[in-house]
Formats: sequence, structure tokens, C-alpha cells
Amino acid sequence: MIDEWYPVGLFSQLDPAGRQTALMGEPITVGRDAEGNTRVTGGNGRTLPVRLRYGHVWSSLGEPKKELFAIPEADQPGRRFVDVGVVRVRCSPLRAVENFLDVAHFPFVHTDILGAEPHTEVQNYKVEIREDVDEVWATQVKFYQPQAAKSASGGITTEYMYRVPAPTCSVLYKTCPPRPSEWDVITLFVQPLAEDLCDVWPWMALFDDTTSLTDLIHFQQTIFLQDRSILENQIPCLLPLDPGMEIPTRADLTSVAYRRWLKRHNYTYGAQLVAQ
Amino acid sequence: MHSDTTGSWTPVALSADLPAGTVMPVQIPAGSLALWRTDSGHTAASADRCPHRGMRLSHGFVRGEALSCIYHGWSYAQAGNCLRIPAHPGLVPPETIRVVTHMVEEADGVIWVALGRPEGRPPGLEGLVPLRSLTALANIDAIAAAAGGKTSPQGIVEVASGTGTICLLLSRQDEDRTLIHVLLKGITDQAARIAAVRSTESLRRKAEDIHKKEFAQ
Amino acid sequence: MKLYDYILSPSCYKIRLMAALTCVKLDIHPVDFHPGAEHKGAELLALNPAGSIPILEDDDLVLTESSAMLVYLAAKAAPEWLGRASAEEAARVQQWLSFSGRLTASLGGARLTEMLLRPGDIGALQTQGVLALRELEAGLVEQSLRGMRFLAANRPTVADIACFPYVVLAPDGGVPLDPYPAIRLWSRALRGLDHFIEMPGIHRLHELKPEPHIEPGEA
Ligand code: FES
Repeated sequence: MIDEWYPVGLFSQLDPAGRQTALMGEPITVGRDAEGNTRVTGGNGRTLPVRLRYGHVWSSLGEPKKELFAIPEADQPGRRFVDVGVVRVRCSPLRAVENFLDVAHFPFVHTDILGAEPHTEVQNYKVEIREDVDEVWATQVKFYQPQAAKSASGGITTEYMYRVPAPTCSVLYKTCPPRPSEWDVITLFVQPLAEDLCDVWPWMALFDDTTSLTDLIHFQQTIFLQDRSILENQIPCLLPLDPGMEIPTRADLTSVAYRRWLKRHNYTYGAQLVAQ
Repeated sequence: MHSDTTGSWTPVALSADLPAGTVMPVQIPAGSLALWRTDSGHTAASADRCPHRGMRLSHGFVRGEALSCIYHGWSYAQAGNCLRIPAHPGLVPPETIRVVTHMVEEADGVIWVALGRPEGRPPGLEGLVPLRSLTALANIDAIAAAAGGKTSPQGIVEVASGTGTICLLLSRQDEDRTLIHVLLKGITDQAARIAAVRSTESLRRKAEDIHKKEFAQ
Repeated sequence: MKLYDYILSPSCYKIRLMAALTCVKLDIHPVDFHPGAEHKGAELLALNPAGSIPILEDDDLVLTESSAMLVYLAAKAAPEWLGRASAEEAARVQQWLSFSGRLTASLGGARLTEMLLRPGDIGALQTQGVLALRELEAGLVEQSLRGMRFLAANRPTVADIACFPYVVLAPDGGVPLDPYPAIRLWSRALRGLDHFIEMPGIHRLHELKPEPHIEPGEA
């Protein structure tokens, strides 16, 4: 996992003084040098690789063998790109991603926004590990939502696609109320500070010309803050990768595939391997 | 660990702090429990961990006679078996989905949880009126020292107060933390009971000072 | 009445909650507090040089202290929330209104540090927060011995609304609420009030709704 790309800050908030943060237990500094170049420095002063993409600065402690994953929608004209800002959570970075892949909690945690009783049923959907791109994909996920997006008025059945292109990142495509032929893109970029601590950087690429930027940010922050109190209270703190510790059902097939994919790649930072 | 025929009772909460239809977290040496009371008044104690994805059940909610998890709404009976999985409304949950439960007894306004399988019932506290529970960052010895009293075999420390007695029923949470249930004997009028609340605050401060000086590493 | 509001701010939530409980309609103006720091921009500094939110505007009245806003809403729409039935009650309301500032400084500070990465001495903030919670817990135990379920009376007042948000969100700042049974009962009583609204971090009391009926044969 050391050779993967991770988000380490908002590009728009870079300053010359540099921000002290951490990546997988190592203190790092993210800043801008005199020429305006973005620099990420590791604990021993070594220069770490940098990418500027999707509103964020990306870096790695190792030597990334793959380029940062693509989000083609990020280059599509007409979309609004929204930096939602950082939220720190005392949980495993992998638990944060897994929660993002889950719809069954909507009626109980995002009540009257993303879900509401009695509409709790999760219909069958499709999950696969796409070998060609080495990503986890869940498609045809449908869920009844009272207020699916800031731009939605009234309840609709929303369709979702989830994609996990990197161990601590997920991209969600969801029904776009103003443009039925397109998908809104909402991402969760997670910076692992430690195995049980992460900074979460949500980011969005939306078709919505009417809602104010602040309203869009507040909507997404609301959703994420509702999840935060769940994430800080799961036991164990680390994500169990071995079966037996937790009980998945059909509604959890995305999580099952995600855990299997993590295990296959030995992506175990933030995971617990042996059931205790 | 406890064999099938041994065990003990530990006082985890006052009855008045757990109204019908609510759940609260309580600590026993083995960890946290979700202590809850059904709408009809029955108490139950479940492990504070939902078998689905590990969410603490003490953050959940009680409807009727079942405890539901706040994360995905799975609900559990007092015996620990799963009753409902909202994501699959037509599914009857298999018997194998269970949350671990502990025996609970309630007497004289105090709720006790069994560690292991104790024979008999928890000690009676007739004549004592529960006042409040509070947690001190101090061990039992520091609290006894602060109270200037001795600890009875049931773990009760007695402090004279005016014409009556303040009784401290102690329950060890961990090395430096003790749950104190304050019970009153012969203290009935409102002003004296309020004074007793204030004196337990002072006692806790004193015990925590002693603990910091003498017991903490 | 116009409220300059941030959805994650417990102080702003006090005003939204009070307005909801007293059925006052607010004109909400969202402020990009995080990540945008809009409250430190020229436009909002002109309204509130202290650079804090909430700000409540009603004609030429501009309020920047949340306790004053609570009193204003109550006085206009629901004076029973002012808690003036007796000298003791009025004094207790003032006592807890002032005390709420300590909650903001301690538990609120811990929350900003832990959650939104604002600078702060987290250990000191949490210690101060625990002391404040213990004081509130003891106050509620005393009130229950007087036969009263809320901070100043046997009905909720502005004092309860001033204290509730930072207390119930204490875990956001790494301060657990498990050891406070009286606070748990009080917070539940407030959450069960008619017209109560939540903010992110405070979950719906699902038990207030009956178990949904399941159609036979649905799968
Ligand atoms: S974790 Fe409890 S229902 Fe999912």
C-alpha cells in the first residue's frame, strides 16, 4: 500500500509555509516553494512524488507503479467541481471507504435525506472486480431517497454506481436530477494518517447550475458528519478482513468484494487479519 | 475465566437512569455492554457490538421489546437473537445471528449484571435509597481513603452525613476508574439530599487527588 | 429574520433549534465557514467584527451572541421559554446561559481541533470539557431532586438550548458522554420535544416512530 497515491491536501489551500500532516504514520509537509511548485516532503526531508488532480494534492511514501487513477468526468465541460474540505475521523481509513460503499444505512443514519423507513429494502445489484482495470465496481444499485441531492425536490429512486480505484478512494456515480442522461460524481478521498486515524477529503463534480456552492458543500458535509459518529464507534476499530468477525448479507456484497480485493493485494494498512 | 457455575454480580446502573424504551452503555471488566429496557419494562444486557458491522449497540434504539442498531437497523430480542434485517424485509434472520447477552437482575433500585454464571441473586440493599451514579478517575482504595471509611465485603463504603449515612456502592471499571453508586440511608429531605450530591462531588475530587498522588504511575 | 448559518456549527444550531421549537421561520443564509473561511471575509466582518457566526439580523437589530439570539426568539415568539416564573428560575437561566460559554470554549474547541483540524491544546480542552460536563451533570441531578427535568425549571428554557448542542456533540471532540446518566436523560427529554430538529452528529430518535409494517411476501 506504500506505493499507492494518497490525498494530502487541497490544492486551493496550499501556502508557502507548508502544512504539517502525516501519511501512514510518517510526518510530511505539504506546501509550495518559491517558484510556485507544489512540494511534499517526507519525515527525513526527502522529496515525495506529487500529482495535482481533482482539487487535491496527491503523494506517496513509496514509488507508485501506476499513474493516479482517472476520473474522466473531471475533464467534462459543464460540471462544477466542489472541494468539500477536510474532516478528521478516528477510524480506520478502510472503514471510512467501506461506509461510503454502503446504502443500507441511509434510512437510519441519513434519515429523511438519503433514506427513510419504511423504504429500507436493498434490491439486488451487481458487483465485480474488474480485472482489466483492477478496480471494484458495484452497479445497478437502486435506493429510494427522500432528498437525494441538493438539486432534488421530493423523493425519487436513485441509481448508484460505486467504484474503488485505490485502497482508500472511492468514486460514486449517482442519478443526476437536472440531467437524466448524466451521472453526478461524488468522491471520497481518504488520507491515512495512521491505521486508526484518517483525514477524509470529499470532492464532487456535479451538473447543478442553480444551487449555491456553499449549499453544495454544506449538503455533503452534513452527510459525512452523520457518518462520522458511526465510524468512530465501530468495534474493532480496524477493518476485519477475515470472515467470521462480522456478518454480511446480500446488501453488503460491495463490502465483501472490497474486503476480498484488499486482501488479494495485501492492502492491509488499517485492516485486522486474524479474527479475535 | 468463569466456569459454568461460578461468577459474580456487578452493579452497573441505577434503575432510575434507565427508563422504559431506552438503552445506555455500561462498563464491566470484559468491556462495554448495551444495557436496555423494553417498552414493557424488562431489562437486558447485550454485548456492545452489533454482529453485522461492529457498531456499538448502546448507540441504538429500543422499539417495543427489541433493541435496534443505529447503523443498519438490525434488531435483537432480549435473548440476543436477531429479529429483523431492514435491508431484507422478507427475510427471517437465521438463528446463527446473535448478540452475546448477560444475565441481569434488578433490585432495590439498582441494576446488576452477571459476570459468568453466579449462583443466587445480587446482594440486597433494603433500606438504601439510590441517589446517583458517578464515575471517578480513581481506584477503589483511593475512594475508600478519601471517604475515610472501610469497604464492606459487598464493596460498600459508608460515610456519616448529618443524621444519616451516604453509602457508596463501588464497581471497578479498570485500574484507574471506578463507578460509584451513591445510596442514602436515613437522609430523606430534599435539602439534605442535595447536600449529599454536593458532598459526593467533593469526595470524588479528593479521591482523584489521592489516586493521582499515590496510585497512578 | 436572517440567520448567517453554518450547518456544522453547534452555536448556529442553537438558533435553528430554538426557532424550530418556537415555530419561528428563519431566512437562512449559509456561510462557507469550512473550508472557505467566509466568516473572516470583509462582508461578514462588517456585520460582526469579531468574525464569528451565527449572526442574526432583524431589521436594524444585529445580534452576534447566540444567547442573546435565544432570548430574542423566545421573547418574540414564546416567552415561556425565558424561564421567569421565580427569582431562582430567572437566576438559573442566567447562570446556565453564562456557563454555556465555557462549553463552547472547551468542548467546542476540542471539536474544532479534532474534527476540522483547528489549532488547539487538545488535552487541556478535553480536561476543561470534562469539568464542565461534571458540573452540568451535578446540576441536573440536583434539579431532579427538586422535581425538575430541565436546567432551570420543569420545562425547557433558553438555558437548555444554550447548553444542549456542545454537550451532545462532545464525542466529536473525543470527550465521551458514557459516564453521565443525568445528561443522557436530559438530552433525551430535549430530543423528544415537539418540533425538535437535529444537526449532523445527532441521530434521529427512531424509537419515536413505530416499527414499519412489513407486507407479507415481500422479499
Ligand atoms: S452494524 Fe449493526 S446493523 Fe449494521
